[in-house]
Amino acid sequence: MSKTTIAGREFRSLSREKTIVLALLIQVVIAGFSSFLVVGLTSLYEPGAAADDIVVGVTGEEADALVAAAGEVDGLEVRRYDDRDAARAAFDANRVGATAHAERVEGRTAVRVTAPQASVRKTFIVVQVRAALEALERNERADRTASLANDPLPIPPSVDASPYFGFPYTVLVPTLVFLPVFIGGAVVVDSLTEEVERGTLTLLRVTPASLLDVVDGKAGVMAALTPIQVGLWIALLSANDIPVGNVAPILAIATALSALSVAFAAGLAILVPVRQRAQLAYSFGMLAAFAAAALLPEHPATTVARFAIDSPTLGTYAHLVGYVVVSVVAVAAFRRWVRGVDAEALG
Amino acid sequence: MRPRTLLRIARWESTKGVGGIDRGAIAVVVAAVAFVLAVGTVALAGGVALEDGIYRVGVSEDAAYHDPIEADPTFAAVEATPGEVRTGTTRPTGTDGVVVGGFDGTDRLDLYVEERAGRTEIYVAVADGEPTEKSLAALSALRGTVSGYNDALMRTEADQTAAFPVTVAIRFLERDRAGAVGSPGGGTGGEIAAPGGSGGAGDGSGDGSTDDPDADASAADTAVSSSLGAFDLFGTSSTTGSPSDIQPPFPFQSLVLAFLFVLPLNFLVQAYGSSMLAERLDRRGELLLVAPISRAEIVAGKTLPYIAVALAITTAIVGGLRLLGSDGGALSVLAVAPLALLFLGTTFLAAMFARSFKELTFLTVTITTTLTTYAFVPAIFAETSQVAFVSPLTLAIEDLTGAGVSAGEIAFSVGPPTLVAGICFLLGLGIYREEDLFTQRPVHLKALDALAGRIHRPRGVAVAVALLVPFVFVAELLAVAVLFALPVRLSIPLIFGTIAVIEELAKGLPIYAGYVHARYGRTVPVAVAVGAASGIGFFLAEKITLAIQFVGLPGLAVADAAFQTGLGAGDPALVAVLALAPLVLHVVTATLTALGASRGRRLFVVGLCTAVLVHLAYNVAVVNALV
Repeated sequence: MSKTTIAGREFRSLSREKTIVLALLIQVVIAGFSSFLVVGLTSLYEPGAAADDIVVGVTGEEADALVAAAGEVDGLEVRRYDDRDAARAAFDANRVGATAHAERVEGRTAVRVTAPQASVRKTFIVVQVRAALEALERNERADRTASLANDPLPIPPSVDASPYFGFPYTVLVPTLVFLPVFIGGAVVVDSLTEEVERGTLTLLRVTPASLLDVVDGKAGVMAALTPIQVGLWIALLSANDIPVGNVAPILAIATALSALSVAFAAGLAILVPVRQRAQLAYSFGMLAAFAAAALLPEHPATTVARFAIDSPTLGTYAHLVGYVVVSVVAVAAFRRWVRGVDAEALG
Repeated sequence: MRPRTLLRIARWESTKGVGGIDRGAIAVVVAAVAFVLAVGTVALAGGVALEDGIYRVGVSEDAAYHDPIEADPTFAAVEATPGEVRTGTTRPTGTDGVVVGGFDGTDRLDLYVEERAGRTEIYVAVADGEPTEKSLAALSALRGTVSGYNDALMRTEADQTAAFPVTVAIRFLERDRAGAVGSPGGGTGGEIAAPGGSGGAGDGSGDGSTDDPDADASAADTAVSSSLGAFDLFGTSSTTGSPSDIQPPFPFQSLVLAFLFVLPLNFLVQAYGSSMLAERLDRRGELLLVAPISRAEIVAGKTLPYIAVALAITTAIVGGLRLLGSDGGALSVLAVAPLALLFLGTTFLAAMFARSFKELTFLTVTITTTLTTYAFVPAIFAETSQVAFVSPLTLAIEDLTGAGVSAGEIAFSVGPPTLVAGICFLLGLGIYREEDLFTQRPVHLKALDALAGRIHRPRGVAVAVALLVPFVFVAELLAVAVLFALPVRLSIPLIFGTIAVIEELAKGLPIYAGYVHARYGRTVPVAVAVGAASGIGFFLAEKITLAIQFVGLPGLAVADAAFQTGLGAGDPALVAVLALAPLVLHVVTATLTALGASRGRRLFVVGLCTAVLVHLAYNVAVVNALV
């Protein structure tokens, strides 16, 4: 019985138990979950997504300056009121989304803003009002350059760009790369500890297969499945008008990290052939490694994001090479170690 | 249930494998310590910046924007010598000294900034005659970067009044009872009311002002409280009062809390699931089964240590947050407890269903993903909508921020998950017996076994269906929470479809399980009786959802559509019709399913689909009659 036979059996058991389907389903849910967040947040933040303009009731001696500043902001409308009570009445009657009272205090323009407490549009209202106030601040600063040692830099123009352009690349793609990597190792832990706990490893031992063949077969399948899943996700994203750049380097990172995680998992399962312990140690270890990777000049997630958004630098490629080299060395060392392990001692 | 027996099993469970320090325990401890150390180091180092270097900007040394671009890690600055990039024509932007143009986007740059004749020229990458989306996003990011750079520059100015000429105070008011929160221009406390709570919660937001260069200014006028309110998790609460200090209300808090409270539960259920499934390997559980103790005692005893650990972890987290300055207390623990129970209950069921560790891993990951969604998504709306109380996590958020919650809201968020957890344990207990524990069947057949375990004759279906109603309730609430942010035009049809499917499945599956296990004959009268029992059981149990109109989601169109209680209609005759019409509906649709189920699997699916369509048609008709 060769390692390909073992790998084939492992793969068949995955498809028979429909676990691979569940794995894909989980990833769809997570991707959908984060996309839901984006859609929800975009509709809260993006002016274009809101159906109509925010109306702000403006009062006070500095109201003119505020009205002028608000004119620079799209999707914001101002309405003048004579006094705060009138503005307040309009606010209570839902005729204005917010009120702003601007007056002169100690040489500054002091603005008091009232926004609705319970409204889904609250965030959007605050964002719009802030944009107007920032414009007001710039205008006021410009009037006082004489009192300033440094002039503020001119602000680049505001453009109609999605504030979540980066999201699919910086969050979604890294998530979809690291999730299969993580799950692959967890499955290897399960698969190996189960053979030991059920006592079926002994049955495999009476065949000509060595322990190394068993480990190779089981771990190899999971390591190979990772880039396939990642490739599927990238294809799906591309079909949804999110073109992902540098597919080959991303797949290379996925393969290298998956080989590392699978080797780590298999090593743990051989050292600690009790599922509960091995699985816990694996989860903690992976999370620790993921957190500790932040000490690298570039976190693996950032590397993936840079490749995906097509802004790789030389350093990004250096990290890619590093992961590949480390994984090759680690897998070679791991296989050498497994060859020396006494399978009889596993029980 | 004998307490002493229960405690003894709990002791066995918790001391299992603790006897000596074995390799496994060391591995777990080493990994856990490594995890804590790594997270601690990274937290100190400032976390992971995912956006690092995603935009490449060519900028010459002498350009005004060189420093801000160099300082912001979002940009990968590429030194460029003037005139290196072939640029097109420029046009003015309305801001003095800045013009924008385009360049051919083949130079592997997204933005190119040049200083020419005393003005700053920004060029965006152009492909096919249009600026690329990426370069526009980069320009948008640059706008924010320059603003931040300006603010930092201004902070070094001697004349702070000229540097920050505008101060802002934001307060959030309820529209109707606005008078109760403080009159305009009144006290200082009301002026800085935190958005997270009612007017009274604002008094805590004044802290953190010590390093403020501007602290001498009138506190009431300059105080700006961030979205985090009195409980300031990130130190974003700031009182400098300049416009850029305004933090729009954003659900960071629920994100962090969901992570904080739910992550340990993930580890816990992994250990719990392993332990439960291990009982089913090599007939190990047989030893306990033959002992003179009841099955309920075994399961409760084995679960108890995990509940205790979950509560201990939650208490520790709440205590830690309290040290950091939150107002949280017992209510936060009470809010997380049903979540912990839900995690354990569903994992118990998964361990009863799974054939192997591999399958268990996928089942638990599915469960944790779903439950995290359930805990997290509604809590996003903690500050804006009542729908947030679907998730018990919202209670924790309100408690931690010092906002009050009513008893009704507590019942509304804690009740359903606790019920569902209990029913999971009940269903799993039904198959915690020799003939089910040590047999291997695909998960869906095991699930049918668990349902059939509750059915012994046709009218028993009513009980099994009634048991599923809390699941239906939670699923529908989750659907409402996910869909309510969409426009009503879109959300109402979606919610109708989802609800028809969920309710018909809840009525149909027990019926089908009964047929698969031959609990009743395959004749038409029996099928009608079974259908009627299912419909009536569902109808009666569903009436508890009436409570939703009283405590939960008043005035939410989607919720009205989901839980048609008819209370929204003024006409008493209409209310009476709407109270009884669902009974007819549920009986009819369940009978349709039962008729299909009595003739085998394929016709069951056909019957179920018909039932869903009838249900959908009914919902649409009712809404049309009402609106």
